[in-house]
Amino acid sequence: MSGIEAVRKIVETEAQAKRIVEEAESRAQEILASASEEARKIRQASTAEAEQRRVEMLRETREKAEADARSSDVETDSLLESYKKLFENRKDAAAKKAVELILGN
Amino acid sequence: MAESLEKLHNRILSDAKLKAAGVVEQAEDKSKQVLDEAQSQARRDANDILAKASLEAESIRRSILSSRIRGNRLRILDEKNKIVQSVLKSVEQGLSDIVDSDQFESTLKRFVAEAVEAVGTDNAVVRIGFRNADKKSLQSLGQSLPKGTKLLVDETAIDDLGGVVASDPEGKMIFNNSFRARLERLDNQLLTTISSTIFGE
Repeated sequence: MSGIEAVRKIVETEAQAKRIVEEAESRAQEILASASEEARKIRQASTAEAEQRRVEMLRETREKAEADARSSDVETDSLLESYKKLFENRKDAAAKKAVELILGN
Repeated sequence: MAESLEKLHNRILSDAKLKAAGVVEQAEDKSKQVLDEAQSQARRDANDILAKASLEAESIRRSILSSRIRGNRLRILDEKNKIVQSVLKSVEQGLSDIVDSDQFESTLKRFVAEAVEAVGTDNAVVRIGFRNADKKSLQSLGQSLPKGTKLLVDETAIDDLGGVVASDPEGKMIFNNSFRARLERLDNQLLTTISSTIFGE
């Protein structure tokens, strides 16, 4: 093998070695890009799931609070009804006592 | 020479492959790290969202309940107030009508005596006025008054409901013993009496 041929062979080998490293670097870039994309999807999915749970939580809370509020309305209606009956039954007695108080009896 | 060239060839390729493997391995390690961090961050983000949602839910619950409960408390207070006001109207009517009752004369004498005593003078001026009262019977009251006391009978009811007002001759010391004035003086007791009778409180 001549000297020139030996140099050519070395140059070819160096070129081949460079390609191997470049391919690996390219592959590494792909791996990182893929990981980055997967990471984005993981976070996106987790956030979406949490947001869905949030919406559900708020809906349930609102429904429960509305139910409790309706219960308060019913209790109040019942109380007001009982006040009306008490008033009808006791208004004369209350007025009589009040008049006696004012007269100082 | 061919042999050493072949060795150099292999060495160059071997180094390149080693370097390539290192580059890929490093990328894979980095990739794993990125994914681990992403999962941790995702958990933190989700926890943040749920923690905020929990606070938001509590705020919504309080907002709905407190506004409704406040509204219902106002309804109850409004109804109680209407009832008390209605009883007070009856009380005012009852006081206006006292003129026609048996206890009018004794009540009037007591009111006059209280007013004269409150003014604390020997020559008090006593003004009385009731709706639909017989003026003559009112003037006859003058006979029972302490000596020196001047009696004035109004044509109209004092303070709308009737009553007695005593003063010294100069009008500097005045004691208002009208029904209206007594209602105002006994306001707290009156409301307590009415409330306890109607609502049992």
